[in-house]
Amino acid sequence: MPGLGRAALVVALALVVYAALAGGYAAVKGRRRLGDSARNALVASFVACLTASLVLWGAFLSDDLRFTYVAEHSSRNLPTRYAFTAFWGGQEGSLLLWALVLTAIGSAAVLLNRRLVSDVLPWTVPILGAVATFFLLVLVVVSSPFATTPEPADGLGLNTSLQNPYMIAHPPLLYLGYVGLTIPFAFAMAALASRRVDERWLVATRRWTLAAWTCLGVGILLGAKWAYEEVGWGGWYAWDPVENAALMPWLVSTAFLHSVMVQEKKGMLRVWNVILVALAFCLALFGTFLTRSGVLNSIHSFAESSIGGWFLGFICLAAAASIALIVSRLPLLRSRTKMESLVSREAAFLYNNLFLVAFALTVLWGVAWPLVSEAVRGIQTTVGAPYYDFFAIAFGLPLVLLMGLGPLVAWRRASLRSLGAQVAVPAAVAVAFGIGLVFAGAADSPAGLIGYTFAVFVLAAIVLEFARGTHARKALGETSWPAAFASLVGRNRRRYGGYIVHAAIALLVIGAVGIGAFHTTRVATLSPGEAMTVEDYELRLVGVTDQRVANREELRARLAVTRDGDPSGFVSAGKNRYFAPGETPSNEVAIRTDWLRAEDLFVIGDQFNADGSVVLKVFVNPLVNLIWLAGFVFLLGSVVAMWPDAREQARLARRLSYAPAVREA
Amino acid sequence: MTTSAVILAALLAVAAVLWVARPFLLGTAKEAPFSDDLADERLRLLEERDRALGALKELEFDNRTGKVTDADYRELVGPLRREAASAIAALAALEPDAEPAKVTATPPPVDEAAAHDRPREEQPH
Amino acid sequence: MASRRIPVRLVVALSVAAALAVFLLYTSFAGGATDSLRPSQLLAGNYAGKEVQLAGIVKGPLAGDPHAGGLRFTLKDFDGPQKVEVVYMGSVPDLFAAERHVYLRGTLENGTFVGEEDSLVTKCPSKYAPKADGEPT
Repeated sequence: MPGLGRAALVVALALVVYAALAGGYAAVKGRRRLGDSARNALVASFVACLTASLVLWGAFLSDDLRFTYVAEHSSRNLPTRYAFTAFWGGQEGSLLLWALVLTAIGSAAVLLNRRLVSDVLPWTVPILGAVATFFLLVLVVVSSPFATTPEPADGLGLNTSLQNPYMIAHPPLLYLGYVGLTIPFAFAMAALASRRVDERWLVATRRWTLAAWTCLGVGILLGAKWAYEEVGWGGWYAWDPVENAALMPWLVSTAFLHSVMVQEKKGMLRVWNVILVALAFCLALFGTFLTRSGVLNSIHSFAESSIGGWFLGFICLAAAASIALIVSRLPLLRSRTKMESLVSREAAFLYNNLFLVAFALTVLWGVAWPLVSEAVRGIQTTVGAPYYDFFAIAFGLPLVLLMGLGPLVAWRRASLRSLGAQVAVPAAVAVAFGIGLVFAGAADSPAGLIGYTFAVFVLAAIVLEFARGTHARKALGETSWPAAFASLVGRNRRRYGGYIVHAAIALLVIGAVGIGAFHTTRVATLSPGEAMTVEDYELRLVGVTDQRVANREELRARLAVTRDGDPSGFVSAGKNRYFAPGETPSNEVAIRTDWLRAEDLFVIGDQFNADGSVVLKVFVNPLVNLIWLAGFVFLLGSVVAMWPDAREQARLARRLSYAPAVREA
Repeated sequence: MTTSAVILAALLAVAAVLWVARPFLLGTAKEAPFSDDLADERLRLLEERDRALGALKELEFDNRTGKVTDADYRELVGPLRREAASAIAALAALEPDAEPAKVTATPPPVDEAAAHDRPREEQPH
Repeated sequence: MASRRIPVRLVVALSVAAALAVFLLYTSFAGGATDSLRPSQLLAGNYAGKEVQLAGIVKGPLAGDPHAGGLRFTLKDFDGPQKVEVVYMGSVPDLFAAERHVYLRGTLENGTFVGEEDSLVTKCPSKYAPKADGEPT
């Protein structure tokens, strides 16, 4: 069976090379049949990648330890669901996943827009083929999942920290996000290559971009939740290079999603948009590179690997090609319209873009500087949380404010007076909250206080937008308030879905400020019977247990929790020590959530002493659960924004009945 | 490689080659040009028209919800209507025999007082 | 408001300038990056009293209590014989043991490297297991 996998990969590689070369030739010479053939090759490459993937999955699910890759990432007693996810547990499998997802969604995007690609954007297929060629080339030549070794007695198994539900979803979602960004990139570059200046590539890839961006966002939050619960140091985001690797393309895609709206409404920012989409794609590649090449000290950097140089080379190639193409098409892209006012929604989107991209670039600098420094000075450097926190605040706070102001300001031009009238109520609510928070003690962290106030402003502005819009729709003749609301959202899913996403971000900010600026930490050494106090909680050490369970030894400190004097149950925190050789101990924190206050009592059993005492590190993290709630609201908003709209579809079809048909993605 | 693996691999390769060669084997697609300048100009004007019409509808709704004051509305609505009208006129000039019914909406008459009373059906982005 | 045509480029240029200003302000006042040194580099350079990150291999014997008085151990170069004595207070990652790669922040004082509290991090011995705690709060 490994032979079948290897053969399938070779077939896939041949197909994508053909797709790239034949597709390119067809685009240059205007050969439609050759172009269709290249497209077919891309679709066929998906089947080949799927074959290879099924071989590997089959090997995992049947514990076929002749496969070196399976032996390294699975073991005989691994539960089935983790045997399934161990597929992407290492470098080779992750590359195969990239290739599989790329050929899958590349084929889907091209097939769903068959006529557009065939008639107008013939370069889409060769570009997708070229990207796929890179991954398949690495898979075939450098890093194959189908290497075999004499069968060992048992596999090394999957790291225990990765055996949890979050780690089932987190990597595939991130991959869907990274790979998904290839679609708008390919369509945009194809439009440039064919000298198209119209919006068809935008319309066709709109939902793909939104879906990729949503997957990235949810993936990042799942990773954060995993880190919070499983790694358990008390925080949720460590500015680790691998975390940042996903954050950077997400920030740039967020900017892109906003600035394409300006392009749609006013035909402006065309150059900026193609730069953004190329930047997002390159950052997605860079993110994959960071996670795979073990180049940086990081929480899950992989062992020194053979593909770092390949990746870096490909990223440089993609960046150089994109820049060259954009520069050569600059005269075509320049728009005649200018921005009419610095106080308008276009301007707000522009400011938002500048902050988002600036933030992404500072994160990139923080990630890249240690590498650059070592190359230049011979001394490594590290960039710590203070650097990132500073810019998160410096750029983040204005972004939150813009999130509130943007929806309140009209397109083209808004007089300061009308803006003032719109802003008055939410601002008043926010200021009132702010003053209340000062009395609650929030002035200890000025940045935190401002963050809370701005987030409340955003939420109030959103509520007002929904209210005013519903009222207007009712006045226009809807029968009831719920019908008016449904009609409001239904007729403008992107806008109101977007508002829901803004609300999610506001919630996230509140949670992040709560845990970031207002958490409390206590460290104490307790012997059985002794107690410690943190905020409203008292924790009394009832006993220390040491149990053998299945494959591990469980050390636990059992604590009785009292809240404001009332007994509140027990928590157990400690460590697991695994018997399997090479298995590392894991931190098993205890988290007690107060849903009403969205706050967590977070207990780490840091050290178990020989005399029976325990060193405990206890956090009270206010409002942290709003971060996870934000994830759900984010997903809801994205789904609303992406929901197909028959009316809009019909309108586009009428518009384009004169021109080659385009199907809105 | 086991026999079954060889057979499957061979099947995959053959199927791939056939699928790739399909457009040539069936010979259905004509070697038509990818696009022409007239279609491009039409599309550009259509996008311009839809942009202006969409902006008009949005402006009207924003005025209803109070985001755009009456004074600002009066200032902004004129240029937008002219943009839409010129795009529609240019489209008509391009294709004299085009059906007017294809155009989804005509610009409202320049009558500010009546404009607010007329119920609007569509709400733009 | 009078109709003005504002070039996007001007706005972009001004904003880039503003961002650069923020960046320069930060790096001059707050200081972003810390040097990450091996014991040989620490001893060779003039780092007394300066906060740096020290990375190396743990050599025993391990003595003391990190939560009471300080954990004492030696850090050796990855590929050299130079060693530095370290004293550290705070959380110790589960993976911490002799012969493991670790790094921590701190200052060199009188020949001993005094670690910053809770800054000890162990780099994983195996492929991609997550590093244990030790994150600064």
